[in-house]
Parts: sequence; structure tokens; C-alpha cells
Amino acid sequence: MPVEVIMPKVDMDMARGTLAIWHVAEGEAVKKGAALFDIETDKAAMEVEAPASGILRQILAQPGQVIAVGSPVAYLYAEGEAVVGLPSAAPETSEVMAVADPAPAIATAQTPAQVADEAGDLRATPVARRLAREAGLALAEVLGSGPRGRIQRADVETALARRELKATASQALQSPPILSYATQNTPPLEWSPQPGDLHVTTRKGTGTPLAMIHGFAADSTGWLALERALPRDLPLIRIDLPSHGRSPLRRLAGFADLAKAVVQVFDRVAEGPVHLLGHSLGGAVALALSDIRPRQVRTLSLLSPAGLGPEIDGAALNGIARASTADSLAPWLKRLTARPDGISHDFAKAAMLARIDPDLRAAQQELAQVLFPDGVQAFDLTAALERVTAPTLMVWGRDDRILPWKQALAAPGEVALHLLRGVGHVPHMEDPDTVAALIGRHLK
Amino acid sequence: MNAQTQITEVTSPGETREMSYAEAIRDAMTIALDRDPTVILMGEDIGTYGGAFQVTLDLIDKYGPERIMDTPISELGGAGVAVGAALTGLKPIFEFQFSDFAALAMEQIVNQAAKLRYMLGGEAAVPVVFRMPAGSGTGAAAQHSQSFEAWFGHVPGLKVVQPSTPEDAKGLLLAALADPDPVIVFEHKLLYKMKGQVPTGYYTTPIGKAAIRRTGDAVTIVASAIMVHRALEAATKLAAEGIEVEVIDLRSVRPIDRDTIIASVKKTGKLLCVYEGVRTLGVGAEISALIAESEAFDYLDAPIQRLGGAEAPIPYNPDLERAAVPQVADIETVARRLAKGEV
Amino acid sequence: MTVQDNIPFAIRHFSPAALREALRKMHLIRLFEEGAEESYMRGLIHGTMHLSIGQEASAVATCMELTDADKITSTHRGHGHCIAKGADVGRMFAEFFGKETGYCHGRGGSMHIADVKTGNLGANGIVGGGLPIAVGAALTAKRLGRDDVTICFFGDGANNEGAFHEALNMAAIWKLPVIFVCENNKYGMSTPAAYATAVPNIADRAAAYSMPGVTVDGNDFSAVAEALHIAIARARAGDGPSLVENLTYRWRGHSKSDRNRYRTKDEIEDWMTRDPIARFRAELIAHGVLDTAEAEAVEAEAKQAVADGVDFAKASPAPGIGDVTKFVHAEVAA
Repeated sequence: MPVEVIMPKVDMDMARGTLAIWHVAEGEAVKKGAALFDIETDKAAMEVEAPASGILRQILAQPGQVIAVGSPVAYLYAEGEAVVGLPSAAPETSEVMAVADPAPAIATAQTPAQVADEAGDLRATPVARRLAREAGLALAEVLGSGPRGRIQRADVETALARRELKATASQALQSPPILSYATQNTPPLEWSPQPGDLHVTTRKGTGTPLAMIHGFAADSTGWLALERALPRDLPLIRIDLPSHGRSPLRRLAGFADLAKAVVQVFDRVAEGPVHLLGHSLGGAVALALSDIRPRQVRTLSLLSPAGLGPEIDGAALNGIARASTADSLAPWLKRLTARPDGISHDFAKAAMLARIDPDLRAAQQELAQVLFPDGVQAFDLTAALERVTAPTLMVWGRDDRILPWKQALAAPGEVALHLLRGVGHVPHMEDPDTVAALIGRHLK
Repeated sequence: MNAQTQITEVTSPGETREMSYAEAIRDAMTIALDRDPTVILMGEDIGTYGGAFQVTLDLIDKYGPERIMDTPISELGGAGVAVGAALTGLKPIFEFQFSDFAALAMEQIVNQAAKLRYMLGGEAAVPVVFRMPAGSGTGAAAQHSQSFEAWFGHVPGLKVVQPSTPEDAKGLLLAALADPDPVIVFEHKLLYKMKGQVPTGYYTTPIGKAAIRRTGDAVTIVASAIMVHRALEAATKLAAEGIEVEVIDLRSVRPIDRDTIIASVKKTGKLLCVYEGVRTLGVGAEISALIAESEAFDYLDAPIQRLGGAEAPIPYNPDLERAAVPQVADIETVARRLAKGEV
Repeated sequence: MTVQDNIPFAIRHFSPAALREALRKMHLIRLFEEGAEESYMRGLIHGTMHLSIGQEASAVATCMELTDADKITSTHRGHGHCIAKGADVGRMFAEFFGKETGYCHGRGGSMHIADVKTGNLGANGIVGGGLPIAVGAALTAKRLGRDDVTICFFGDGANNEGAFHEALNMAAIWKLPVIFVCENNKYGMSTPAAYATAVPNIADRAAAYSMPGVTVDGNDFSAVAEALHIAIARARAGDGPSLVENLTYRWRGHSKSDRNRYRTKDEIEDWMTRDPIARFRAELIAHGVLDTAEAEAVEAEAKQAVADGVDFAKASPAPGIGDVTKFVHAEVAA
């Protein structure tokens, strides 16, 4: 008999919740206790764990739907168990559920108590309708938080703020961001998006391109200071990791999944061998890529790479992933640099704008759990580093508080190791000229 | 002297004195009797007895029975005499012992007083004031506790006010007297003993102008008479929870202050009408409708809510009596739910 | 017994000019109502109207001694009172035609015809509505120390309204200068006064309120004038109210929708032989107040006034549609 997955009551006065995202796809296996879906209530977003192990089937609620507490949202089946018809009558309250026949025979296309945004029957207050109309926002895109899913003023305002912040954030991606590091007058660069699962942008130039992979909770905009210090004609390939920057959100089971996703896109965009550069988690990915596609990698440059030891500042990672305002983000960002004043408030604001999407933050929090459970690096690439044949450069800040520089000592003797004084976890931001000079020499 | 200066004269009050609501009404009548020899008071037992609620206490000693006229128990006839006197040059203030008894005089109030100016093409005026002690809470049951403001508010030609404070009780009564048309003043019986600072001189509170008693941005409560005080008490409690309620004291049922209500609802997006009269077809229905018809509609962020009297006569049993009209807890609950988007 | 004793009160009491004017008003009432009836049938007047043809002596004789300072309150059958009190038939026709030039600017019509300037506080659509109002008007006169009186016209039907009893009682306890004039035309719509009223004469009610009550032949101009002369003198002297009952008869139905099922043709024809105008006119001629030619001139004068009135009303402008709420309240200077 399948196990019912319901919209749980997680708050005292909660009558319904909005299903925010499924972490498991229909047909996929899930273990009891693993994150199954997220819900949003008036007060918070919350992860709901699988009530049993099994295969997720018969998803009844899609992201965005408002579901009454106690109503089923899906069923978990045992491996090989025959799929039965949907239980009839999904009552609204758990009391009724308790006395309902648990073994219905007739299959009916019963949907949960979804009321928001039925075709042509959308409930919205007059002010919500007016604001949406004035802003050119389709009400169907707005989640209603009111009784019976009614869209209220706050819902539209949230949707509009999100839209506006996203627009600002994407504008920040396309124009020089407000970094204290990047104030030089440089001619506009021509970026063009690449097709594919991950977001990839390239800069044309002459010679072998440098492919760059950013770190956890960062994105390609973080390379800007370094790019300005690098030779102007150096062709660049910038890759946004899954659930980062403008890449799609993706559920990853572990580091191998992450590496696989990057390899797939790398295979598609790299027209020949490349120079590979990675920072932190991106360094680990670059290292794995070099291990998997040795002939595609001409040189490897690693800035404070992950994967070379168990220690990591998990609190900072979680703090950055979780932060929902510039104020809560800034203290964690300050841990990235050797000098706390290296992070301006404008920088924190710009960084927050890039992370304004709560779904993205949720995905990154989850990724942190997968990659760095309990504040430990759950993947070890020291063996891969041993196997890498491409000439390898490693740059580390002596004041790195996220990944201790001593992990660099895991590197074999061929690796060129540079330990920078007065530099923290982001050498390419803190001292872009030195890093650019080191990379420039390395590429030759 | 031209008529305009006579009507619009408002002395700057300056000095104030603590008075009860009843004393403020008496003060207004005293000033009116002193200022204008055509003012007379009429009503049952308003002389030596001082009126059913002692509002006219001792006035007969000063002004005599010719100006403080006890009428026989003849509500229809008495009201009609007041209408006729007003039509021909006096300014009578007619007191009903209870507003309920005005039902006996509906003919004169509704068919005559309200319509004479119009029927006669503006050639006549009926500057009469009807004072009506109204409302429940005294254990007087079904025939002595009603709130008829919506009844009279439905009649073009009448003006209907409901003061909620001693200051307004005086100012609105003096405004009613200065008005060239019939005005009905509903005095809430439970407010007669309420004290407040009242300007000592002559002044008028404009008829047709609501008062914002508390500002807020979460919910607009439009309340009248004693409900203003209950709404304010609920608002204080809600403020402790961070919910800032705007409380509008309607003051005038007819004409109704559309602008103030519309502006407030445009600000808060939420409207709760609280009134003691029976909920159905009551004052709240009019306020709801005027918002629904106005530009404030596009600012509404929740269905308009009404708290009014039960669909029953006012009962005798004290618990039932309380249950029959909105109480602080009722207002608090509905306003909170509105503020939280739960309605 | 002197010669004087055989001369009716009115002839003795009023000047020939006043009597001639009274005859003119009686003709004017009759002709006005006939003209209104005709206009009604031509569709120039809508709504309904209550004609007092046959009751002209009651209206005119009652108002003989009144000045413009004296007030009257009238009834739904009030055209005669209005004319008797001095109104202009042109403006009355204009009101009936719903014109802006009418006494009520087209807002009142037949049932609310009034002329406040001549002391007519208005006809009233509510039976008994004017009774307490008349008492109020008398109260004003007394309170302001004026010697004007108020005449309160009402019908036999109104004597069974509570307002009648309340009004008479208050007028009596306060000794107010008001005269209650009942025009008993025998029917309250279709219900006979004899059936609806517990006392034989409505004037008998006066005893309950300690005021003089007298029943007179309402079609006898002089009898009515004499009764009123006494009552008005009493009122002006500060001795309080009186009740005068004028027995009369309306030739027409209650209103324009009356199909006359409650009275016989014989009864109506019998009363038509007691035409108060013909009677008064004959009296004036008999006592040499005027001759036949002069009487005809008076009637022709009235006829001309009615014709002119209709022309005036027809030519008058209608009120503006946008002014539907005008006159609900006093116009307040901005």
C-alpha cells in the first residue's frame, strides 16, 4: 500500500501551505527522512522530509499550489509495487483523514484542495488586480497567500519586488557590478550566452581560451576584477555552476553529479583544449574535469581549491547560502577576505541582488548540505590531483579562513604553489593583479 | 446683519472645561437659549423632572415653562407641533425620551419635516432639531434600546448625527440648531456620563464631517457613537501586536463624509464598519457600498467587513444584550483577521 | 326684531368690495378646478388631483378675515383654500403643469400646493398631517407675541387620526390661537363619516378638549363666515382654539380615479342643487350688494384669470432635470 505524502501542519495557525519545490522527481527513489519538498507558509519556507522510503509517484501538487493542511500531495510506493488508482476524496482536515477509508478502490482524478489560479477563476483582491494590471504582471504568475488562495496586495508586491530585483540583478550581471575592486575604465566586453544546461558566456580573443569555474555561492561575475587584469585578447569561457548565477537550479546527489554536469557542458562548449581555472568549489570541479578529460585541459589553475582536506568553514557557507538580506549576508562575506574592509556594503548589496531568488538560495543551501555535510568536505580530490597531467598552478591566501591553506600541502611536487600574504579566500578579488600575473605566466 | 454671518459664526473656543456628555448637551442648549430667543425646548418630562436622562435638568428654573415645554405623551402631535413651530419662525429642540418612541412620530419627521422644503419648492424651511437617546446596554430591552440612525439616514431632507464625545455632543447640537433644515441628533445613552474636555463658548462641529480618532495603515474602522470607543479600545490592543488600525468616527450618518472614508480605505485597503444598528441594511451597508462604488475599490485588499447589531430585537438578559451588539473583542478579532489577510 | 336681524351676517359685516371679491374667489375656485380637470383630461397634468367643486363657500368664507400674516394649513383637497388665501391661479396652474414657475417649482403638484407668502403653509398629502403643524404655527405666534391666528383645514376623515386628538389637546392646554376647520363632505374617500365616527357631529369632539365646537352649513357663506368670526376673535384674544365643522359636499369623486360606487346619483344631484356659489351670488344680488350684470362681470373676470393662468402655465419652462435634488436642503453659500 502506498504511503501518503501530505501537506503537514508546521505552524500553529497554519491552515494551508504553498508547495514551493519538489526535491525529488516523479518516479525517483527517496529515502525516509530525505528532503522531499519545500513549503512556504505565511512565515517561512520549510523542508518536508519523506515520511518513508520509496518511489515518488502520483504527484498531486505542483510548485506554487496552495494546499490545505492534511491534504495529500503525492504517494510513495515500494520498489515494484503496483500503482493503484488515486485515493478518492482528499479531505481538507486531518481529523477527517483519520476516519476516512484508507483503502479506496475507485480511481478518481482527485486533486488537492488547490484553489488559487484555477483557469478563469482566479481570486484576487481589487488592489492586487490593479497593481498587477498597472505593472503588467500576469496574476496567474502570482501566488495567493490569502484565504482560499486569494491574491492579496502583499503577494503582488512580493512578486513585483522579486521581478524588479531580478531585473536589477541581471542588469548587474551585464554591466560592471558595484565592486570596490572594479572601478577601472575598460571598454565594454562582448558576452554572448551559450545554449546548454548551464549558463556559459564567452569572450572572443586569440589563442587557447581560459575556462573559468567560480566557487560555491558565487557566480561568473566574481571573475570581473581578474578578467580586467588578464591580457585583453585572452579568450574566456565562463561557466555558472548548477544552481548558481544564471544556470538553472538543479538537484545534485553529490560532488560526482556536480562534476558530471560541468563535464557535459564543457564537452559541448569547448571546441578544443582549454586552460582551466577554478576557485574553491570551482577549483575542485576544474580538478575533477582535468582528471576526467585530461586531453582537453592544457593547463590547470586552482585558486584556494576545495577537495583537498576535510576542514571548511561550514558556518560561513551556510550563512552565505541562507542570507536573505544584504545585512545578513555581509558578515559572512567579510570572512572571505583577509581585510574585513575589503567587503563594502555596496558589494554585499550587489551580491545579495544576485541571490535574491529564494529558490536559488534554497538550492544552494541544499547543495551545501550535500557537499559539505556537518561542515566537512565530503569529497576528496587528492588522488585526482596526483593523476592530473596538465601543468598545475595553485594559489592560496595565507589568511584564508574558509579553506586553510595548509590543504595545499596535499599537492604533488609538480604543482606550482603560491601562498599570498595578506590575502584570504578570494585571491582573484583581493589581489587580482598578482593572480593575473601568475596565471599569465602559467599559461605560457 | 446678514444671514450668512449669523449662521457661520463660530467663536474661537479657547477655554475648555471637563463636562459629561449630558452636561455638554445641556451646555449647548443653555448657550442656544441665551443666544436666540426663538429657541425652545419641547419634550416629555423635560421640565421639572429634567428629562428621562436628566439632560435638561434645571433648565426650566432658568428659562421657564414657556421655553422649556413639557408636552403631553403625544409623540406624533408633539413632533408635529415642533415642525409647525419651526416652519413659522421658532427653533424647537424636541426631545424624545427614547429614540424608539420616534416610531410614533415617523409621519411628522419623515413625511413633513424632511419634505416640506422640497414639496414647497424651497419656499419653506423646517429648522427643527430632534434629540433621540439611543442604543442598548441599559437593560431596557426591545422597545427602549434601538438604534434607528439608518432609518432616518434613509430620508432625504433630514440630517442625522451621532456624537461620540462630549465635545462633539455640544458642537453637533449647536450645529444642528444653526442648520436651516431638520437635524436628528442620536445621543447614546451609555455615553451620557462620559467625561471629556469641552470648549466653554459657542462653537459648532461641522455636520457631515467624520473625525479620524486614531491613525493607522493596517485597517480602517468606521464606527459611530459608542462603537467608536469600542473600536479605539480594540485598536489599542491590536497596536500591541503591531497592527495599526485607523479609527474613523463617522459622526454624521447623513450627509456621510465620503471623502474621509475613501481616503482612509485607499490608504489601508481594508474596511471594517462597526455600528450598533441592525447589521442588515444598516449604516455599514451604505459605507460598504460607497467604497465599492468609489475609486477606493481598486485599493481594497480584502472583502469589506461589517459588525452590526444582531438580527433580533435587543434582548433583556444582560449576556444576550451584550451579544446582540458588537463588543471590543468582536472588533479586535475581525480587525486582526483583516490586517493579517485572513478574511 | 330689526331689519338688521334679517340680513345675513356676512352682508352686514363685510364691505361690498370684500363681498364682491369673495364671489370672485368662489368663481375662481370653481373655474380653476374645472380648468384643471380639463387640462388633466387633455394630459397636461399628471398624477392625480382632489377637486373641491361644491365646497367653495367653506374655503372662501373661512378665510374672509385672514391677513397674509395669518396662517392656514391645508389638505389634499386644497386648491380652494389656496385661492381663498390669495394665491395666483397662474402660478397654481404652472405648479399643476409641473413648471418651474409654479408655487413649488414643480416639486409639489396639486397635493402640495402652497403659497407661503400669503400664509398658506401648504396642502398636505397625509390625512391629519397638517393638524399638529397648525398647532406649532399657533405656538410660534403666541411665543413671539404676535396676534396672528392659524386656520387648520382638515376633512372628516382626519378626525379619526391620532394626530387630530393630539393636536386639539395640545392647542387647548396651551390655549393657542388656532381654529380647526373641518370640512365634512360626508366621505373619507368612500367611507361615510357617519360610519367611521363615533359622534354624530365632528364638532362634538371639541368637548373632549374643552374648546367651543360648532357645526354649520358649509355651503352657507355667511354661516361659515360668522362661525369663523367668533372663533378668530377668541383666538386673537388669547382664549384658545375652536373647532368649526362646515357641512358640505364634493360634487366630484374623491380623486380622479374615483368610480363613484359609494354614492347615488340622486344624492349628488341633490347636493348640486345646493350650489354654494349660486346661493351666495343670489344673496348678494338680493341684498343689493351687486346686480346681475356686475355678478356676471365678476364671473367673466374669474374666467379670464383662469384662461390667462393656463396660458402662463403652458408657456412656462420646466425645471432642469439636473435640479432633481435642488430644494432638499437650504442652498449653502460656498
